[in-house]
Amino acid sequence: MPDATGRERLLTVALPTGTAVAFLAVWQAVATLWAIPAVILPAPSDIVRQLVGSWGELLYQASFTGAEALAACVLSGIVGILVAAMLASSTPLREMLYPNLVAFQLIPKIALAPLFVIWLGIDAPSRLAFSTFISFFPVAIGTLTGLQSTNPNAIRLCQSLTASPSQIFRHVQVPYALPFFFSGMKVAATLSVIGIVVGEFISSKHGLGSYILLAGSRAETARIFAALVVLCVIGLALYGAIAWLELRVRRAWRG
Amino acid sequence: MAAIRWRAWRPIVLPLLFAGALLLAWQELTGWLAVSPMLLVPPSAIWSVLVQAWPVLLAQSWPTLVNSVVGFLLASGLGIALGGALVVSRRVEQAFWPHVLIFQLIPKVAVAPLFIIWLGMGPTSRLAFAVFLSFFPIAVSAATGFRAADPTALRLCRSLTATTWQTFLRVRVPYAIPHIFAGLKVGVTVAIIGVVIGEFVTAQEGLGYIIMFASSAAQTALVFATIALLCGIGLLLYGAVALGEWFVRRWYGAPISAGGFE
Repeated sequence: MPDATGRERLLTVALPTGTAVAFLAVWQAVATLWAIPAVILPAPSDIVRQLVGSWGELLYQASFTGAEALAACVLSGIVGILVAAMLASSTPLREMLYPNLVAFQLIPKIALAPLFVIWLGIDAPSRLAFSTFISFFPVAIGTLTGLQSTNPNAIRLCQSLTASPSQIFRHVQVPYALPFFFSGMKVAATLSVIGIVVGEFISSKHGLGSYILLAGSRAETARIFAALVVLCVIGLALYGAIAWLELRVRRAWRG
Repeated sequence: MAAIRWRAWRPIVLPLLFAGALLLAWQELTGWLAVSPMLLVPPSAIWSVLVQAWPVLLAQSWPTLVNSVVGFLLASGLGIALGGALVVSRRVEQAFWPHVLIFQLIPKVAVAPLFIIWLGMGPTSRLAFAVFLSFFPIAVSAATGFRAADPTALRLCRSLTATTWQTFLRVRVPYAIPHIFAGLKVGVTVAIIGVVIGEFVTAQEGLGYIIMFASSAAQTALVFATIALLCGIGLLLYGAVALGEWFVRRWYGAPISAGGFE
């Protein structure tokens, strides 16, 4: 039934859009009809006005946060792959390090942010290091799981076909590990933005995190919301970029 | 015989040995290289500060612990309820699931100052923020879990004329348990993070406040001691959730894997 699937497809788009629009409409109505002070809850229209009005300033602040989050995301990808490769290469090393790494995940690592400020100062390096520190782990675990989940039969087959270890790595292990690596990267994308923003809360003189904190201390709520919108766009863009990269890489590898 | 025993113990002994060696190297290197105590203090100094400041730290860890636990419990209730509500109807799921997913992706930490404007500098804002942060991972994994039920089992229930509620309780819930607990384990860590960030931003009480205060006074040993205590709280709460999972799984009897009953 082409009609039913067409309707279903329409609903998959229309329903979430509808709830979003309805939510915004209710918000707007509540904020204006009940005359809620803009300090408590600015109406969506106020936020849009703020977004347009301070667009230049927001873009300027976002350039710091965005660039640092991107750099941290790339760094955590590199560190994650290196750690995974190290752990996958040797069983004793893995047995030695893996449980410690996992235990390290259970602690609230955000609390370490001030230490990075003590060590590396209040500039970009401390935020980059902190952000990489909190976001490399999902990549490392994902890649390691991927490398280990390679079908042993496939490897044995390649060995009996006299494939070299590097060939096996390229043609068998990497394709198996790629989906796991990318799902780790998607988590890392969100975490790296969080890491940069927390760093900016604590130390920075610029960036969206400090902008939000400043607006908060002045009770300029519409400004906070406008900055949050920009921050969400950065987060989603980073996630989207990784999803796009995954599509490209996986297609290239299959060919 | 000895070889077999060594192989069984190796996964436990090796990590502990490594952690011990790391602490020893840390201790020796900071002394040997004469690292400034403002940058890095040896573990022995952290320990002595921990002992010395224990009454203060214990008093300050109380609000952090209480807010984390209460926030986590509230988020668990809300998250599991929403996860269950999403699978009630296909339409509800279509309407709300994308929004929950998008909320997972955005950096929610940045919302912390809003909670202060709304709820003030007191513990309520930190509690609400912790609930807000840990709610989403729990809701997503609960919804995933409730959807993970074997369709064959669901069809069987329908043909046996089980009510929706019976099916939910007897089929969907057991299948969802491993997913829910995976979400709860993430959620409990995130709840602590939420409280600590709240304490960073409002700075009135709690271990997050101590960390901020000590780092601005360059009392690195106190920062480390507080972080150590916070790690202890994190591991404790995680352990409590893991224990809860063990009890629930035992109570349900059958060994439930994420794939279903086997």
